[in-house]
Amino acid sequence: MNLRNWRFLAILALALSLIAAACGGDDDETATTEASGGETETTAAPSGGDEEPLKVAFVHVGPVSDKGWSWAHDQGAKYLEANANVEVTTLESIPEGSDSQRVFEDLAADGNKLIFGTSFGYMEPMLAAAENYPDVVFEHATGFMSSENMGNYFGAAEEGRYLSGMAAGAATESNLIGYVAAFPIPEVLRGINAFTLGVREVKPEAQVQVVWTSTWFDPPVEKTAAESLLDAGADVIAMHQDSAAPGQAAEAAGAKWVGYNTDMTEFAETAWLTAPIWDWGPFYLKTTQEVAAGTWESAAYYGNIADGMVDLAPYGESVSDETIALIEERKQQIIDGTFSVLPDPIVDQDGNERELGDIFSMNYFVEGVIGSPTG
Amino acid sequence: MTTRRFIVEPRGLASTGLILAVPLLSVLLAVIVGAIFLALTGNSPGEVYVKMLDVSFGSSRGISETLISATPLILTGVAAAVAFKMLVWNIGAEGQFLMGAIFAAGMGIWLGDGSPAAVALPLVIIAGAIGGAFWASISAVPKVYLGTNEIITTLMLNFIALNFMNYLIFGSSSPWRDPLVPQFPSGRPIPDSGRIPEFFNRLDYGFIVACLLAILAWFLISKTRWGFEVRVVGDSANTARYAGIGVPQKILGVFLMSGAFAGLAGSLYVAGPVGALDPRSLDLGLGFTGIIVAALARLNPVAVIPVAILMGALNNAGPALQSIQVPAATVTMLQGAILIFAVAGEFFIRNRVRRPEKRLEALEEVSAA
Repeated sequence: MNLRNWRFLAILALALSLIAAACGGDDDETATTEASGGETETTAAPSGGDEEPLKVAFVHVGPVSDKGWSWAHDQGAKYLEANANVEVTTLESIPEGSDSQRVFEDLAADGNKLIFGTSFGYMEPMLAAAENYPDVVFEHATGFMSSENMGNYFGAAEEGRYLSGMAAGAATESNLIGYVAAFPIPEVLRGINAFTLGVREVKPEAQVQVVWTSTWFDPPVEKTAAESLLDAGADVIAMHQDSAAPGQAAEAAGAKWVGYNTDMTEFAETAWLTAPIWDWGPFYLKTTQEVAAGTWESAAYYGNIADGMVDLAPYGESVSDETIALIEERKQQIIDGTFSVLPDPIVDQDGNERELGDIFSMNYFVEGVIGSPTG
Repeated sequence: MTTRRFIVEPRGLASTGLILAVPLLSVLLAVIVGAIFLALTGNSPGEVYVKMLDVSFGSSRGISETLISATPLILTGVAAAVAFKMLVWNIGAEGQFLMGAIFAAGMGIWLGDGSPAAVALPLVIIAGAIGGAFWASISAVPKVYLGTNEIITTLMLNFIALNFMNYLIFGSSSPWRDPLVPQFPSGRPIPDSGRIPEFFNRLDYGFIVACLLAILAWFLISKTRWGFEVRVVGDSANTARYAGIGVPQKILGVFLMSGAFAGLAGSLYVAGPVGALDPRSLDLGLGFTGIIVAALARLNPVAVIPVAILMGALNNAGPALQSIQVPAATVTMLQGAILIFAVAGEFFIRNRVRRPEKRLEALEEVSAA
């Protein structure tokens, strides 16, 4: 047998093994599909008796590992998983915009009965998907559109913002606080205003300087923005962003930091003051139970500190007992309903008194904010 | 004794069978390597592949969604293909796509609801082509007349276009911005007369238009005198000059045509599924993906169509795979594997790899082993 034939045989053997591998893959697939189907049933059995688990899906704009906005929602999903007979599907890093309609419809077609979208930009695509799947319940965070089978939910972050602003006001020595903010929209403006009012309750002469990033989650951009504020003389950094990058910039510059979304102490222990944080779990559980029981109705839910959807993260070491006592007192007043973080009338950026107006379409800054409310 | 074990030599003209077999084999190999990777990361390859096929092609809705995702990629793919064919390195399809979207949305909003669709729709679509060609011209004219490097200028103009779009929506009260939505800066909806009608689930006629335009591009390049001259310039500018072909005009023409196609991708996308100048819907890298599509299609405008459909299917399968616990990063890896194998396959179409002819030497090696 000559060399040419040997080579031919070797190639043939290789090709055959590849084909065999490919076919093997096919066999695997039927086997595993069955296996995973079986698996689902077995996991269902212990948690909920004979009931089929309710299929619930979450769609996040960022990675759930961001330790920020998406992570907080994912914690809520985990709480739901632990406390209800559900089968949870989580999709992360799904871009907002028209393309996301397909993602919501895929989830609905897959048999999910309750779908949460946790970012503002899913609103219109979700509304369109909800129209095409009237038997599925859709819940949208932070938006304002709804329909028969689409509700929305959010919380009064401004309450946590105000309290964290008090911590920032107590910490600043330069009387300049930097605020790294995503987009000039009512939700963010509301937060900046409440934060600034909190700052100035403690330190009336302090000012809050805002830098816009045009992104919810982009660690390098967030870091650069924080550094520009530190360069301008800020000695406390606050943020409406989803990553811990502004805090790391503050830590590196020896400044203080008010985070957002979750307890981010671990990223910058010295800089950490506190943060307005979210606890979505109870709302997810309540909504799921309503859908399972067939009592769900489309509504706009606005949580707050009193019901626990909004809270304040643990304080950093540098926050004095005196400051903590002051903040806790205000917190109790907010819970009791005797203190409102956004007063009416309110003094705007130019020093003019004006009506508070609808806080969900707030488009102005209060006195003490440096920057433009239009971006 | 040091000898070369393998010799790589250009193949000259590859046979049609080879041109078809190599890409198919490349995709097959990518699937196999992907399967190994999936198995190693604890996923079931079979389940993953079945899910991918099922999501993208397993239902009429899946097919229509795949074609929706493919539509802009067909045109950005053609944009890259016609330019690269002529060694014009236009990597600015992203910016030209956005500028096309800006022009098209602007035209739709400017015309308003008063004009009939038969007038408004063609104007909206053509506005996109003009927007894309205009944005390309900023790189094309200096390249042709001053010899600037179009790789750098087209790349930088991508970021300018993106920031310009963001400015129109986030940073100003431009006509593109919807004044009725104070809660979040959004694009003003294009009136219905400027929107492309849907005909198959959510799929609109933009897909058909994109396919026809791809065929038109192929016809222009392959079947016309202009196309012939363009190809001569692409093969050798000196030869073209010697033959009396106006090289600068040809380069300019191809560059603008490339930009116009990318701009058309933008206009079909805003007049189709998006319906407004919405930065969140448009900033998806569709122009950059067009370069990949063109490379896989071997710069053939017609082959761009099936490749774009494949890429659309891969794109749509991503979120669905997450629902069976495959991480988003693994999906990206799988898409990358297919690309790498296809590019490697391209090498084997262009070149022949063989052992040196010396029989004796080869025999010695075998006996030594």
